[in-house]
Amino acid sequence: MSDEHRDGEHPTVGTYVRVALVLSVVTALEVGVIYVRQLAPIIVPLLLAMSAAKFALVALFFMHLRYDSRVLTLLFAGPLVLASGLAVALTTLTGAFLVFGR
Amino acid sequence: MSADSSGRVLHAPPSALAGAETSATVLGWLTTVDHKRIGILYGVTGFAFFLLGGLEALLIRLQLAVPNNTVVSAQAYNALFTMHGTTMIFLAIMPFNAMFFNYMVPLLIGARDVAFPRLNALSFWIFLAGGLLLNASLLAGTPPDIGWFGYANLTSKHYAPGLGVDFWILSLQILGVSSVIAAINFIVTILNMRAPGMTMMRMPVFVWMTLVVQFLIALAFPPITVGLIYLMFDRFFGTHFYDVAAGADLHLWQHLFWIFGHPEVYILILPAFGIVSEVLPTFARKPLFGAPIVIYSGVLIGFFGFGVWSHHMFATGMGPVADSAFSIATMLIAIPTGVKIFNWVATLWGGSIRPTSAFHFAVGLVGLFTIGGLSGVMHASPPVDLQQTDSYFVVAHLHYVLIGGSLFGLFAGIYYWWPKMTGRLLGEGLGRLNFWMLFAGFNLAFFPQHYLGAIGMPRRIYTYPPDLGWNAANFASTIGAFGIGVAVLIFMVNAWRSLRRGAPAPADPWDGRTLEWRTSSPPPAHDFDAIPPVSGRDSFWREKHGPRRGAAAGVGPAEHDATVHLPAASHWPLMVGLGMLIAAVGALTHVSLVVLGILWTICAIFRLALEHHRTPEHADQTGGLGLDHRKMAMWVFLGSECFFFGTLVATYLAYKGRSVVGPEPHQILNIPITTLSTFDLLMSSLLMVLALAAVQRGDHRQARLWLFGTALFGLVFLGFQAYEFTEFVHRGFTLQQNLFGSTFFVLTGLHGTHVAIGVLWLLSLWVLALRGRLGVADAVKVEIAGLYWHFVDVVWIAIFTLVYLIP
Amino acid sequence: MRSARRTVRGALGSTLVLGGCAWDAPMSTLVPRSDFARDILHVYGIITWVAVGIALVVGLALAWVLVRFRDRPGAPRLPAQTRGHSLLEISWTIAPALVLLAIAIPTIQVIFRTQAAPPRDALEITVRGHQWWWEFQYPALQVVTANELHVPAGRPVALTLQGPDVIHSFWVPQLGGKRDVVPGRLNRLTFTAETPGEYRGQCAEFCGVSHAHMGMRVIVDAPDAFAQWVAAQKAELAEPAGLAAEGKAIFARSACVGCHTIRGVSSGALGPDLTTFGSRRTLAAGILPISVDSVTAWLKNPPALKPDAKMPALGLTDEQARAVATYLIGLK
Repeated sequence: MSDEHRDGEHPTVGTYVRVALVLSVVTALEVGVIYVRQLAPIIVPLLLAMSAAKFALVALFFMHLRYDSRVLTLLFAGPLVLASGLAVALTTLTGAFLVFGR
Repeated sequence: MSADSSGRVLHAPPSALAGAETSATVLGWLTTVDHKRIGILYGVTGFAFFLLGGLEALLIRLQLAVPNNTVVSAQAYNALFTMHGTTMIFLAIMPFNAMFFNYMVPLLIGARDVAFPRLNALSFWIFLAGGLLLNASLLAGTPPDIGWFGYANLTSKHYAPGLGVDFWILSLQILGVSSVIAAINFIVTILNMRAPGMTMMRMPVFVWMTLVVQFLIALAFPPITVGLIYLMFDRFFGTHFYDVAAGADLHLWQHLFWIFGHPEVYILILPAFGIVSEVLPTFARKPLFGAPIVIYSGVLIGFFGFGVWSHHMFATGMGPVADSAFSIATMLIAIPTGVKIFNWVATLWGGSIRPTSAFHFAVGLVGLFTIGGLSGVMHASPPVDLQQTDSYFVVAHLHYVLIGGSLFGLFAGIYYWWPKMTGRLLGEGLGRLNFWMLFAGFNLAFFPQHYLGAIGMPRRIYTYPPDLGWNAANFASTIGAFGIGVAVLIFMVNAWRSLRRGAPAPADPWDGRTLEWRTSSPPPAHDFDAIPPVSGRDSFWREKHGPRRGAAAGVGPAEHDATVHLPAASHWPLMVGLGMLIAAVGALTHVSLVVLGILWTICAIFRLALEHHRTPEHADQTGGLGLDHRKMAMWVFLGSECFFFGTLVATYLAYKGRSVVGPEPHQILNIPITTLSTFDLLMSSLLMVLALAAVQRGDHRQARLWLFGTALFGLVFLGFQAYEFTEFVHRGFTLQQNLFGSTFFVLTGLHGTHVAIGVLWLLSLWVLALRGRLGVADAVKVEIAGLYWHFVDVVWIAIFTLVYLIP
Repeated sequence: MRSARRTVRGALGSTLVLGGCAWDAPMSTLVPRSDFARDILHVYGIITWVAVGIALVVGLALAWVLVRFRDRPGAPRLPAQTRGHSLLEISWTIAPALVLLAIAIPTIQVIFRTQAAPPRDALEITVRGHQWWWEFQYPALQVVTANELHVPAGRPVALTLQGPDVIHSFWVPQLGGKRDVVPGRLNRLTFTAETPGEYRGQCAEFCGVSHAHMGMRVIVDAPDAFAQWVAAQKAELAEPAGLAAEGKAIFARSACVGCHTIRGVSSGALGPDLTTFGSRRTLAAGILPISVDSVTAWLKNPPALKPDAKMPALGLTDEQARAVATYLIGLK
């Protein structure tokens, strides 16, 4: 079962350039918002969301996951989710968030 | 070597070591890439280390036989239990498992070898390097003596000034590399190289357990790799990861160790579970009861195994919430484990049991692992564990699961698959003697240790006073340990006699259920004359005993595959392993050897990578799922890297704000400059996809341009980083300055190292392109370089946000 | 609940007696002498019975199938190729889950009860684990001692565990479970001892060469005996005479003063406080009972008795060592 490209799609150079543009804009925004004092209360979730968006764009387009077999997405997403969970658990347990422990 | 219709091999039985494409010379063995030979190498080497670890155990038990004994000194005893634990886990059980992964998995799935035969050999040689390095510490007179778990800060330079810990760190790192490379290899093999008709759920349970184990290895080793890097940097370069005075948390080591350590115990036991799941049905003559459930429970155990690690830390003071969470998670894992036991018993129910030696060992596992598992459930309750942990109760538990479980399972596998691997039968009489001696010796050695733990004997003590009531049980335990030794000797006699003049083994001595019994014993170099047809689970059994459905009846060769490409031998895997050993020895002696070793390794890797650049048969490596092996392998590797960088980032965040002296991040990090370098790296990813597109459509000019461009942008990023690091050092912010220095420089430094490796990779591809040797057929090679490159970019996205931007 | 607890304890106790082994060894985890130890044993008992029960069921089932379904000549060539049975498999997944629930509930209860903050009238004691000896400080009572911990019976004791060097673990099995001593962290252990007596403990986390020699004694005193002990710890030391006076002189001019504190004589802080050394029952963290001979042997060559001990051989002659030993034993 050859599943190399789903839907027979393949991104064009134009798609790639547009993605690169979005990545640049989001990066600029990320750097910008840290200087906006009004956003300070929500700065952490905001930054996390923006970097997650960049992460997704690179993975889906540059790394071709959007067009490739779902097996590859699973092979990457599984460990990614597990690693993120472990990172959160580890940071929590060592008292970084001072929620549990002690 | 064709078989007649009754399945008998027509030729005289081959000698035990035939069946490989290279000659039976030393050079042949040193350059082999045949999975069967590599399996034998793992088995023989593992057995040698097993004997060494066993000797260490006997010395331990001799010392503890009576109170206030003087067989060995305190220092020697501490080295003995450190070496015994490390050896048995990494140099005995894991290689025994690897022997079966290597030899049997391709046969079980109807393949002719693994996805990457030369990487397979590489894994073995790197493993050997690690094993030799660890035991070289004995020759150097400085074995590690800090326990196989090496808790910080006992392992710091201050409290362990000798070379012992350094030997230990370097060996474990090397062994980890070996295991992860093999894990990626087997994951791709199992997913992508199954015979037509073998869907995932039709795979033998042993293959499923192997698959779960490989994922566990690929994902669990990175955290310990990071933990060991931290320890190495503390000892060699003065960082503060485990330095309490600088604000470090000693629990960090324990977390990192056990995030690896708990999946590791499943890595050790699941293959044995898989073996038992093959052996019991064969000798009960009925299928595994509830095979899908056994498979799902194995997957669940693997997955949940990542969530229970702190049950090794109940006494460390994590607080009641963490204790409760891990307690519940640990109890939950007992359910899929218990289910397997019931399924195995139900497999035997209603069966027609032939109690061969292999069967004896498999049943032994079922009984003994039940005991070990139940003592484990006791440990799952923190209040109870507070009495049991660090006492002989845990020693009893771990040996019941590792010997009663893993070793008995491995012996079952040895007795079961010995005819297939050697073409000879092991003696059944000696086999049963082997079993009963091991069973008796083992239980005598370790059951009394439950009692010892219950009456308060702590672990890891080289002697004990005579008035605590521990004397009789210790003495009995020592007798039992020697009984185990006798059992191992019986096995060696049995093995020797079998190899010398054992009865020749037919292809299918047990009336087996799975595909390996369909080829000769031992198999020819190409494994199967023709890839076998697969119509369901236990498809060979169906062929023999199932209702005839009009397909070819009986056992006979299907049409021969006209051309079979056998992987060619190669000496580059050995060279890479040797280079790593030289570098490691250099780390312990002189930096010139480190440089030599690294250069040697890099050269050998290049030669390994380019060895078959122009071999036509290597151009297309598309497998059963329609995916290229190399692309799949890269994605598995990136999954592993998620754990690597995830651990580094988590440590950075955990230690944030804990530095005792300055500077703090906001005082020193230069966001505007770093924004530029981030932008540069993002744009490099764009250039990379343009390079790939150019290679895919055969545009050589643009391929050269964009490949060089990507590498150049990568170099610019490294330039920015070099500038940043130099600035920091000038301003007094160094690796050793404070905790922030340690976490920052190691995290970004390791990322930078990844970028540098990527640049090297891209420049190599660029040089190939310059020489006109990068064609459309090589697009996959550029694609996987691209995947690596984008991943490194993506990690930087995370680092930029979490380290530089978040306040 | 209480009757259930008594039943469990009674059943466990009778089995222990019937078991024939000596379960009341000095460091037995099955002889509870504090509320903490009792709470633990309650859960321990439940889990043990569950485990033994399951082991018996599985063991008997296994033995039975092995005998009943052996291949016999004349049996049909192939047994029925049963692949599974959904109801059965679901049942034996749910059953363990229920059993675990029965274990989890008391587990969680005891976790939170035994890790609750100590009551305000608790006696605060700071425990500092060194390589390879124990330091005990009573901040409210202004008492510092080593290797022998005195606590009053019937009053909650709140230990705060500190680690100046490596990780150790404080474990006195009959008084409860263990808790690690982790440098850089403050761990707590709270218990109320019930019965006056002498209890033995030992370090339970591998801490280096002489980990095996890091024992301790815990003396649970009746309240008035405890008060007497406290008074004795703080009392003025009697002026020694004869051989002991010689010993004191040797002590005062030797390297001893750099490491040890004897109130009014020296204030070293690297080794155990020796002010009331003579009132203790053992020396060097529980490895030997105190006598002139044993103390003399120790003084002459500590690393010979405790490998890699930080206290070096000081080059004392036999007579000098005996004199110092006599002096130290007189410190009560």
